[in-house]
Amino acid sequence: MAWLTKNSGTMQIERREEPYLDDALKAKLEAEVIIRYPDRRAAMLPTLHAVQHQVGWLPLQALAEIGAFLGVAPSEVMDTASFYEEYWLEPKGKYVIWLCQSITCELLNRESLMQKLQAKLSIKPGQTTEDGKFTLMNVECLGSCGTAPCALVNETLHEDLTAENLDQILDALE
Amino acid sequence: MAFNEPVLTKRIPTPPFGSFADRKLNTYEDFVRTGGYESLKKAVAMEPSDIVEVVKASELRGRGGAGFPAGMKWSFLPPQDGEPRYLAVNSDESEPGTFKDRMLLDFDPHLLLEGIAICMKACQLDTTYIYIRGEYHAQTKILENAINEAYANGIFGDQSIMGKVNDRFPNCYVHRGAGAYICGEETALLNSLEGKRGWPRIKPPFPAVAGAFGRPTIINNVESLAMVGPILLNGPQWFKSMGVGRPEGAPPQVPASYGPKLFGISGHINRPGVYEENLGITVKDLIETYGGGMRHGKKFKAAIPGGIAMGVLGTDQYDAPLDFDIGKKFACLGLGTAGVIVMDEDTDMVAALRNIVRFFSHESCGQCTPCREGGNWMYKTLCRIEQGDGTTKDLDLLLEIAASMGAMPGTTICGLADGANWAVRTFINKFWDEFESRVKPSVERVIPLAVVQ
Ligand SMILES: Cc1cc2nc3c(=O)[nH]c(=O)nc-3n(C[C@H](O)[C@H](O)[C@H](O)COP(=O)(O)O)c2cc1C
Ligand code: SF4
Ligand code: FES
Repeated sequence: MAWLTKNSGTMQIERREEPYLDDALKAKLEAEVIIRYPDRRAAMLPTLHAVQHQVGWLPLQALAEIGAFLGVAPSEVMDTASFYEEYWLEPKGKYVIWLCQSITCELLNRESLMQKLQAKLSIKPGQTTEDGKFTLMNVECLGSCGTAPCALVNETLHEDLTAENLDQILDALE
Repeated sequence: MAFNEPVLTKRIPTPPFGSFADRKLNTYEDFVRTGGYESLKKAVAMEPSDIVEVVKASELRGRGGAGFPAGMKWSFLPPQDGEPRYLAVNSDESEPGTFKDRMLLDFDPHLLLEGIAICMKACQLDTTYIYIRGEYHAQTKILENAINEAYANGIFGDQSIMGKVNDRFPNCYVHRGAGAYICGEETALLNSLEGKRGWPRIKPPFPAVAGAFGRPTIINNVESLAMVGPILLNGPQWFKSMGVGRPEGAPPQVPASYGPKLFGISGHINRPGVYEENLGITVKDLIETYGGGMRHGKKFKAAIPGGIAMGVLGTDQYDAPLDFDIGKKFACLGLGTAGVIVMDEDTDMVAALRNIVRFFSHESCGQCTPCREGGNWMYKTLCRIEQGDGTTKDLDLLLEIAASMGAMPGTTICGLADGANWAVRTFINKFWDEFESRVKPSVERVIPLAVVQ
């Protein structure tokens, strides 16, 4: 829900010495991404993706660094980042399980899979297991309705899910 | 004419011409060996405006949902003025029930790249951004590899066989979204491309005049562009020998439904998947001939013609032909993406509608009050009905809220709200008995008048 009120500028920013957007990543972005666009701000989504890929999520300090790198105010980076569901403004588990909740998956019984996941992991959607291994999420249609029900685990799509193969998929994760 | 030769699925084995199990990625070599990039070669030798004329003559209509004639869109561009001009390819594909563009990306990415190159040449656009949804991780990689192959083989870049386009060497980049359905709306897509929230823009100005970075921009769906190569190679008459013409007696400005189309079928059927057929195939034929019939021998109850924004077809509309005229004839919004969702006799229509409305409420960008608040209000009302706590007045209320939201009643910026509107109205109207049986009669309460001092 992109329009829900998010944390605002009154928050304390936890700072660390070492930058999240380090020189190596900056150089890579300059060479491969910035040159694609007529202005620097347009590199916002790819930059957020790249930093999140490296750090695991997007701490406020990282947003401020991205702002400085792209020449926009930190608040504008927050404004953009908070709109998109794929950007994590707080830490997530090592594996994020995105179980599709849209119409075809629901017609084909995704609810029983969700119940099973909740029982197995002892968490609800939006939560992370205590050991930090799994985060469980509901997600809208993954574009895989022909092989519903389906789930994305980090970047890997799993199709034609059943109670059995779901177990196997999770158990195989380190 | 019967559909007897695959076009978009030429290299993607699809029943009845091939088997899903044989599908594999076509590399640059595979593509060229099977006639790929011949159409681009033809385009290189043509005047840009002549290419636009061919696409116009074919009457190709956009495959992304709205069905706008592609050639006409291309001719809205202003004359070149020396500054950059863009092509934004809509590969956001997030409408529940839709998974057709993904098939093209998975197996034949060069068919898209060829269409892109032809469009760039025809419209004199120097830079292309393919906006792909964030969840398509595997497809992003396939596309990036294919683009690298295309650069290496002189399709894009300073070695391009097109030479300079709009005075610049043509470039093509992938731009990944980050999980927001609304970014499929063309102007939200542009904002997202510019590094902003995916908020739809008020039109006019239309993107062809002032789009990405304030410059003229063409936005087309993946399947629309993939169709351009075959059209240019085989000619408009060939394209128009497939599909259905305009309704009898309709004047020439009424757009027709020519050509083949990808149909994704999912839900309660035996063999879900993406198939190719002429526009105009009926829901029944699609389910029975391609989809392997209804699952577990159940009876057909309802189908959504193409992505959940289109509303629903009732049990008695099993014979509806899937073409761009379906909206008018069968009281739904339209053909949409032709991602057909099939529901059998056991489907709970209240639950199905609750799911759909939850989607629109969740994906609203929040700019327009009727969409942001109306969606959530309808969702809560439907949850109440599903749990058995609704009354007949709730049904009236739902119809009233629905009818008040959308670009067509004119209360919202974009068409997302129309999707919620049509879903609610068609589900309730076409399955009135079922909805009515789930609510309690409203009791007229007499409120005693009290004098407040
Ligand atoms: C809420 C909303 C979501 C949309 N999502 C998509 C989408 O995912 N893919 C797409 O091609 N078009 C989508 N569209 C339609 C686009 O706005 C646009 O009409 C289309 O990309 C134009 O391409 P075409 O003419 O080739 O179909 C969406 C429209 C709306 C209102
Ligand atoms: S109709 Fe909904 S999604 Fe579209 S601009 Fe308005 S609030 Fe945003
Ligand atoms: S509805 Fe689940 S993938 Fe489309």
